[in-house]
Amino acid sequence: MTDHAVETHGLSVYYGRHRGILNVDLRVEQGEVFGFLGPNGAGKTTTQRVLVDIIRPTAGEARIFGLDCQKDGVTARDRVGYLPGELAMYESMRVRRFFRMYASLRKSNRDSEHWQALSDRLELDTSRRIGQLSRGNKQKVGVVTAFMSKPDLLILDEPTTGLDPLVQQTVMDLVREANQAGATVFFSSHILPEVQAVCDRVGIIREGQLVATERVEDLMTQHLKRVRLSFAAEPPTDAFRRDGVEITARDGQSLTLEIRQDLDQVMAEAASYGITDIETIHVSLEEIFLAYYGKGNGGSLV
Amino acid sequence: MFRLLLQELRFRRGAIIGWGLGLCFFPVVYVGLYPSFADQMENFYKILDLPIYKALGISMASFEGYMASTVTNLVPVIMAIYAVINGTGTLAGEEDSGRLETIVTLPIPRWQIVAVKAIALGMALVLIVSIAAAGAALTLLTILDQVETNVTVVDVFLALLSAWPLVMAFGMISLFLGAFSPSRRIAGTVATVVVIASYLGSNLTGMIDSLKSIENLFLFHFYEATAESLVQGQKLGNMLILLGVALAALGLAVLFFQRRNITVGVWPWQRGRIPEGERSA
Repeated sequence: MTDHAVETHGLSVYYGRHRGILNVDLRVEQGEVFGFLGPNGAGKTTTQRVLVDIIRPTAGEARIFGLDCQKDGVTARDRVGYLPGELAMYESMRVRRFFRMYASLRKSNRDSEHWQALSDRLELDTSRRIGQLSRGNKQKVGVVTAFMSKPDLLILDEPTTGLDPLVQQTVMDLVREANQAGATVFFSSHILPEVQAVCDRVGIIREGQLVATERVEDLMTQHLKRVRLSFAAEPPTDAFRRDGVEITARDGQSLTLEIRQDLDQVMAEAASYGITDIETIHVSLEEIFLAYYGKGNGGSLV
Repeated sequence: MFRLLLQELRFRRGAIIGWGLGLCFFPVVYVGLYPSFADQMENFYKILDLPIYKALGISMASFEGYMASTVTNLVPVIMAIYAVINGTGTLAGEEDSGRLETIVTLPIPRWQIVAVKAIALGMALVLIVSIAAAGAALTLLTILDQVETNVTVVDVFLALLSAWPLVMAFGMISLFLGAFSPSRRIAGTVATVVVIASYLGSNLTGMIDSLKSIENLFLFHFYEATAESLVQGQKLGNMLILLGVALAALGLAVLFFQRRNITVGVWPWQRGRIPEGERSA
């Protein structure tokens, strides 16, 4: 267990009787951008908090670069930049003092003034007191705090929350650049287009359990396909009535289908009605995600 | 560690100045005005010698007794309140506000975080007590030629300064309660009850013989606010006991903070357990 930036094995966290996460086995390779998806309360934040040793596991283990997050937590955290989901800071401090303090408390700070460049890039006024900042600007402070030590691993809990679209883009650029410089990025997000844009792989967590870990392109090509089929004659009304297939639009001799399984059988059935045209429609990660968590879908991508 | 300590002291700078100067107000008013009503005190001392006042540690038959009752008796009580506010605010308060998450995720061992915060709290307490003690000493200096007393300026300064082990004990107990209990609200409530019970308990056990056997349970018992103690100082053994209590509470704070799930807010015995049915899920 030494080659992965993040590795958890049988990781479970219970809050009293309430389940946080259960038996999470997760591997994030060094140098990849890993997106962690799931609805509120699914266990994303809990998993990340275990990695930075805010929360202790009820069972299982969590490692960062092969180091136990609890026993070797100090060494492990020296390589981590962390952005919490709910950011709270010392309201009376000026931003630049906060950055200087934070930089001084890290053992291996590689560039003690990097916060200045990051602040300029995010157009953050570091002369102001934290308490005077808007929610978006406080989030910028959190982003700078996470990136300022040029860490080997960035753990970001919904990093673009509260930011305007332009700044969101800048943060995603920072993620890409950190990754190009060799950093591993493990971030949770509700904004699926940004996950789709920057992530190599995604993990989907549902009700505390990791239900899928896949490359983004695999997830998008394998698990939900949307096709528009045109036929020489209108197919019968009971056509394509099968599990894993949903007719989302019907327009005379054309049907739009969402197919989750048995693609070959669906195509065979379509051929029997005399296909005249097939058009594949792009499915976004968001649509896959919603299909996954959507009404009555208890299926697994694994 | 040193940088964190500096930062912690910086956070407390305002409280040190505010509480220190605020506490100075006590001796300035009580001691400074004494010459103006010194003659009348002789008429009151019989009334003020009632058991109820003795229970509160008040005995005003002399200037020394008056000083002990008003300054060295009450200032530590108020300081104990500050110790509770700051002690519970140090871990539990910062956790409640979410700020602790920022510090705990830094590459600093948890025991160091507690130790640094405890040192900062201890230094803040000693500075506040010192400012109040200096205020009392300077006030006495201004009226020394108007009162008959064998109490010196240094005596008053040291008498108040020697309250530090007592308030430090309350500060560390509050710190421990913050690391132990789910929220600052609970920690603060329990710590306040401990201070009040300790103050009243100490006075009552001094008054009622049948309660003597439990006097050691109350921390104020180890701090004497009497006319004699103004001149002779606190007993070394009592001060060591109070510092021992502070050290033990700090040790417990470290122990429980090491095991604490930050941001979760539960009692230590409410640590999660996986139900049998889900172990193999």
